[in-house]
Amino acid sequence: MKRVILHCDLNCFFASVEMLYHPQLRNVPMAVAGDPKRRHGIILAKNVLAKQRGIKTAETIGDAKKKCPELIIQRPDYDSYSYFSDRVRSLYYEYTDLVEPFGMDECWLDVTSSIRYFGSIETIVSEILRRVKEEIGLTLSIGVADNKVYAKLGSDLAKEDSSFFIRSPEDVFDLPAESLLYVGKSAIDRLHSYAIYTIGDIAKQPCGRLEEILGKWGTTLWIYANGKDSSPVGIFGSHDEAVRSIGNSVTSVRDLYDMDDLKLVLTQLSDSVSSRLRRQKLYFRTVCLQLRDIHLHTRSMRMTLAENSDLGKTIFECCVKLFQERCDFTVPYRSIGVSVSGLSARKDTVQLNLLEERPDQERIRKKEEAVEEIRRRFGKRSISTLRMLEDRELSGTGSEEEYTFFPSSFHER
Amino acid sequence: MIRKYVDVICLNDKGGNVKPLYLIWDENRKIPILKIKEICPRASLKVGGSGTRYTCVFSSNRVRHLYFDRGKWYVEMNDYVV
Repeated sequence: MKRVILHCDLNCFFASVEMLYHPQLRNVPMAVAGDPKRRHGIILAKNVLAKQRGIKTAETIGDAKKKCPELIIQRPDYDSYSYFSDRVRSLYYEYTDLVEPFGMDECWLDVTSSIRYFGSIETIVSEILRRVKEEIGLTLSIGVADNKVYAKLGSDLAKEDSSFFIRSPEDVFDLPAESLLYVGKSAIDRLHSYAIYTIGDIAKQPCGRLEEILGKWGTTLWIYANGKDSSPVGIFGSHDEAVRSIGNSVTSVRDLYDMDDLKLVLTQLSDSVSSRLRRQKLYFRTVCLQLRDIHLHTRSMRMTLAENSDLGKTIFECCVKLFQERCDFTVPYRSIGVSVSGLSARKDTVQLNLLEERPDQERIRKKEEAVEEIRRRFGKRSISTLRMLEDRELSGTGSEEEYTFFPSSFHER
Repeated sequence: MIRKYVDVICLNDKGGNVKPLYLIWDENRKIPILKIKEICPRASLKVGGSGTRYTCVFSSNRVRHLYFDRGKWYVEMNDYVV
């Protein structure tokens, strides 16, 4: 039986919530942006009037103001956004239990089994559109298809407060390849160099050829483009899906120019990652370091260890090693991310490495746990390394609580 | 029209329901709510806001919407007459 999947995307979510509470903002170009003093000053969302003036998401406030000097900037109110995100989601649950969130403002709904109860797909779609608008005061676009990838394309094609049905693959074949889920800049460059420009071009290639161009990922894209994606809509809040990676990142208050700066930020990030690991009783195997320089170029690198660990010190040392091997400071960096993957449950027994001696592992663990306990009881700032005291401005960022907003909802379930 | 936050005296019943009984207007007028005609989740597009809307009957010819939004009560107001 053919599935019926809806992709519901709230229109300019952050901006809509702001306009809901400040109706006067509906008639002026407005954008939600972070705090420029903390260097989070990029546009997160904008309303239709701002969009008409050419304001783009992720550009800096300065650039946006150049295009539109009268642009009104609102600071984000994340508590409000997650409240509305929850309310919209609980409305979705009245139509199906299969709801998979994709960020705060997007969700996939599998309504295959609900159609008989509600009458038709059209009824469900129009009722969701009407109720979200009337009861919550937000508008959304709904894409309808028989798989998740096409449904998402549908919601991109749908206008504000309306729906778009994709009934056959031909409906999307003329769209540019980059509109397909997970096709990023580097993939698109490669595809263009092989004269593949549209989703139809991808779909019509033999599957093997795409694998030659893009590696393993090519097969996945071919499946997506042909509408053969069969991945189920996951049930959010169910505990059967294990955590796959844990990571923290930060845009520092000033650019990082040398190894001391970098080490300072890395210490904090490694500490907070390892403390989250330990709380969830996990070991990691792979460390991934992500750097973004002042020109906003991002690069990431990873290394896999010979044995499992959960120590902040190990994460820190791996990151330093990765950096020293592959990067330098010709261009200063503005944001750093550290994540660990290859996670496994902590056991009481550990497979030791025969070739390498490491007598101090237990001591380091005890030390880190003691530090953690002190922080838990007396506050995050109660104990820190000397390095952090040397540059209080820089070490002001990067404590764990700053990041719990998005990742925790995902990891702590 | 503006959103005017107001004090409200409520009855929290055994079933966990909240029923507004009196609206306090300008700190000193205690206006009884005679009847609640409808309770539904609703956005207030006129004054901005979104929550639970109580359609309240204050007297035979005065019916007003009272909104309960994350712990606060408000009415839509364009003048001082309730």
